[in-house]
Amino acid sequence: MTKDSCRFALFFWISTVCCEGWGHHSFAAEFDVNRPIEIVGRVTKVQWINPHAWIHVRTERGLGEEGLGEEVWMIEGGTPNTLFRRGINRDTVPIGIKVIVRGYQAKSGETIANGRELMLPDGRKLLFGPSSGVASGQDSKSF
Amino acid sequence: MTVSAKYLDVFLKGSAIVFCLLTTSCALNQNDQGHSEMALTTRQVMNWVLDPNADLIWDSAGFEITADGVEDLAPASDEQWLAVRNSSAAIIEVGNILLMPTHYRDDAVWSRWVRDLQSTGMQLLATAESRDSTRLFSLGGELFEACQSCHDHYITQ
Repeated sequence: MTKDSCRFALFFWISTVCCEGWGHHSFAAEFDVNRPIEIVGRVTKVQWINPHAWIHVRTERGLGEEGLGEEVWMIEGGTPNTLFRRGINRDTVPIGIKVIVRGYQAKSGETIANGRELMLPDGRKLLFGPSSGVASGQDSKSF
Repeated sequence: MTVSAKYLDVFLKGSAIVFCLLTTSCALNQNDQGHSEMALTTRQVMNWVLDPNADLIWDSAGFEITADGVEDLAPASDEQWLAVRNSSAAIIEVGNILLMPTHYRDDAVWSRWVRDLQSTGMQLLATAESRDSTRLFSLGGELFEACQSCHDHYITQ
């Protein structure tokens, strides 16, 4: 085996076997494409940060029961640059509005999801996910 | 010792000296080029060197918006801007590490994406010097895109 072949084999092994250990995980490493979710609630926080924007949504489940059963979901979006190119900025989703988010749940079981589409009260639908991979909308599920 | 045996002896000794000189020369040449057996794996370089510095860049810009108002995450002190400068410099040099034989992938795109990473690092360095937080935020996005393009090609496939 030549030196270059060894180098390539090592790189391939690192790339395929260890990819989940790399920082800033891929969609597949953190989220489960087989666990789609729809979250309905009010926006409590917007994090307009890199490498992903996040919105926090308090679900309405449990309201009227002294708050029991309320959940706050963290919804991961694309990079602010990507969202901005789609016409979304840090003020597009104001605090307190009711939204419907479709995405995929985290493999960890925490109340974290990768957002794909986000629907505003006026019916506008925003593509909130990243620009690459499954989360960009290669599947057919939509509002 | 016959004349021919003497010549053979000289030839063998000479050959041994030339061989030693050549191997020493190659070893020195390798050292000159910065080759070393002491190196991290590509994964370790990513996780332990590049990632913490990228995180610092990303954590140094943006906004958090709640019912209480808007918090600007931009650096607010000399120390924080120096940290941005230092991480920008580290990102540039990680690019050079990734071009070394230990990590280099001999195809058309590896070098290009490493150069993209370094170009973003150079712009980040200039931004740290000019203390432009708006540009810092935008470059943070470009830094992620440089990372993601490469990961999509080499990891996700």
